[in-house]
Amino acid sequence: MKTFEEKWTAWLDGQLSGGELAEFEASLPDKAAAEAEKAEAKKLGVLLKREIGAQTLMNEEFFSHQLRERIARETAGSSRESGGRRIEVSTWWTIRRLLWTGTASLAVFLVFAIFVMRDKNPAEQSQYLTQILNARVDPVVSPNATISMFEAKEDRVTVLWTEGLQSLPSDYAAK
Amino acid sequence: MGRSLALVAAVTALIMSASPKLQGAETVWSGLVIAENVAQPQPIPSELTRIEGSLKKLFGYNQFQVIGQSRKLLKTGQEDWLATSKFFGLHVDARGESEAGYVLNLKLYKEKELLLETDAKLSKRSPLVIKGPQVGSGQLLLILVVQ
Repeated sequence: MKTFEEKWTAWLDGQLSGGELAEFEASLPDKAAAEAEKAEAKKLGVLLKREIGAQTLMNEEFFSHQLRERIARETAGSSRESGGRRIEVSTWWTIRRLLWTGTASLAVFLVFAIFVMRDKNPAEQSQYLTQILNARVDPVVSPNATISMFEAKEDRVTVLWTEGLQSLPSDYAAK
Repeated sequence: MGRSLALVAAVTALIMSASPKLQGAETVWSGLVIAENVAQPQPIPSELTRIEGSLKKLFGYNQFQVIGQSRKLLKTGQEDWLATSKFFGLHVDARGESEAGYVLNLKLYKEKELLLETDAKLSKRSPLVIKGPQVGSGQLLLILVVQ
């Protein structure tokens, strides 16, 4: 059974008819005042329709609105789940990127290894040590002289060692 | 991902472009040194302090006295110079620069008489010591150090 307010709203909207209309109008204490109020309500309705109008959504706005709603729903859903179970956290190190990074690192290492080892002949003396290429003494002046070469590792000193050179008096030590 | 690979490639290229050649001018100290044993040895010259241990161990002397020296700044690696004492002369002729160091031709003269000749690649990190003739109770040493 409808209340008076429901019947009043329906009457204002012109929704009552037949016996229901007659019964409601008969129950009104002041029909003239009610009719005046109905007319005001109609005027207000017309004014609102004219001034505000119905805003229609464009396609883009419609989809955007749908997306926002979906995101909001998912966010709310995941926040509800957070208390109950573990959430997967996305990371930059995906399997694919890990593979790429590993391959690139290996390639860089190989390039370095090739460039560093390229010119290095293991048979050669270290380039950080002085190398004596050859040595000779005058066989006339020092016929019994011998020459040898070695390295003192602790100070990286390369030594050309001669034996049998002509000995000289101490006067030759003068500055 | 593309940016990361580009960065790695750029860094690699930059490092590889750094040539291992010797860079810039370097000074070579050449000295004629008399090594001998004395009761009160003088302090070793500053040029020889880094190899003092090796000199004493190899030759068994307690004093090393410089009787002639030369300090040459090498710019092209083609310079030549002379370190002299009263009776000895060490002529050094630089014949180019390589990865291993400077290629040098060394000649030791006693007055005008050539006693010894050698060719060597002198490394920046490795001094060269040549044992010369006995002089009195001591020993003449020829020493070259890149400073």
